[in-house]
Amino acid sequence: MRRRSHPARYLLLACTLPLVLLALTILGAILALGLELSAPALASAVGDEELAFALQLSLKTSLLSLLLALLLGIPTGYLLSRSRFPGKALLETLLDLPMVTPPLVAGTGLLFLLGRSTPLGQGLSNLGLELLFSPAGIVLAQTYVAASIVVRSARAAFDRVDPDYAAMSWTLGLAPGWTFLLVEIPMAAPGLAAAAILGWARALGEFGATLMLAGATRLHTETLPMAVFLNIASGETERAVACALILLALAATLLIAMRLLAWAGKREATA
Amino acid sequence: MTSLTLRAIHCRTLHDLSLTLAAGESVAILGPSGSGKSTLLKLIAGLLPYRGQVCMNGVAIDRLPPHRRQLGYLSQEQHLFPHLSVAHNVLLPLLFCATDGEPRRQRVARALALTQASHLAAYRPGRLSGGERQRAALARCLVRGPRLLLLDEPFSALDLQTRQTLWHEFIALREAAAITTLLVTHDPLEARTLGQRVLQLHHGRLYPYVDRPGTTAAHAI
Repeated sequence: MRRRSHPARYLLLACTLPLVLLALTILGAILALGLELSAPALASAVGDEELAFALQLSLKTSLLSLLLALLLGIPTGYLLSRSRFPGKALLETLLDLPMVTPPLVAGTGLLFLLGRSTPLGQGLSNLGLELLFSPAGIVLAQTYVAASIVVRSARAAFDRVDPDYAAMSWTLGLAPGWTFLLVEIPMAAPGLAAAAILGWARALGEFGATLMLAGATRLHTETLPMAVFLNIASGETERAVACALILLALAATLLIAMRLLAWAGKREATA
Repeated sequence: MTSLTLRAIHCRTLHDLSLTLAAGESVAILGPSGSGKSTLLKLIAGLLPYRGQVCMNGVAIDRLPPHRRQLGYLSQEQHLFPHLSVAHNVLLPLLFCATDGEPRRQRVARALALTQASHLAAYRPGRLSGGERQRAALARCLVRGPRLLLLDEPFSALDLQTRQTLWHEFIALREAAAITTLLVTHDPLEARTLGQRVLQLHHGRLYPYVDRPGTTAAHAI
């Protein structure tokens, strides 16, 4: 039997060109990075103190930032999903702003808000909270950019849960708080997990706002993106490439985790 | 047993609606789509705002939030929680209520047996047929021993054979448990089968139902 071809085969064929171009560019950038690193350089990078510091600081700050972003973003996303109020569209636009603002601009804004010469900065300093040019500044910058991604994704995740499930749970005797924890959060879990992964990836890669708030000091506020920047600037290319490859591997792992989650969600839905 | 009294209920689709259900009575309300049937049940359950008074056994429950009204609410869509097995769906309402010393698992098993859904306990709702989902939802609804049962066209999405089987099982179950029941439906046959008294909802007001001569199961369905 002769197989019938796709009715839009010529259109699809034409679309393969941009696809191939994009895929080759991404692959080329990854290969170029990999080829920059020689085997002896890779071996020395494994035991490099600065690289280990940057990796450790990146993981610690990004995980803490993710926790803060989830604590702020999930309730906010829930509120935006379940309520209507005047000015909601305006508020949503404001909350989305950190996603589209250049991080350097966001960092400058936060610097002027929390600088030591401002009342807020002075107040925090009096309380012993030194946010600027410290790892705390990194967490602030990462949380700032990750929270808006978490808010948007959490809102979309709760939008996919029919509010009638919550109403049913209330009639079964579960108070709204327990309904949120036992019904709505588990039902939105796949979307919330994706929100967490995206937020974590954004926090891990944060550079611009971190540079403005925490500065670029070796072995103090040196996250992985900062290490790439510092080492490229000082001509230590191989260390910069090693840091970049670690970031790349982490990002790829998070993407794979997201795909696995989506696959598991589909499997469970049809189980 | 619990009586239900609605006094001068007003909301967007209901106007000055009053109704009394004696303890243990089963009333069916007939009405076309959009007549406010579901609205009536939702406001009794506390899910929608209204003016007027809802009393159970003569005590006003208007200030009680939905989770404190001790009602059972069963709808066409069931809304079984898809992330939980049938047994866990039925267990959930018992997590925050006293079970008079009876182990919760035993109470779940009893509710599932009552609705002939014991064999479904381990399954997720996504694996069940429409009739099986309705049995599971009914078990979840009854497990706490609600004071009043609100039924929002619960059997209308099922095929005729399954529907008739469930009707008869439900009547036996309701009579054994002696639960006051308020059913809303657009199906005259279902209303006559399940309701001891049938009323009609028209333009937001209740009227006695007048059976048209010659209405048969075929006409009604």
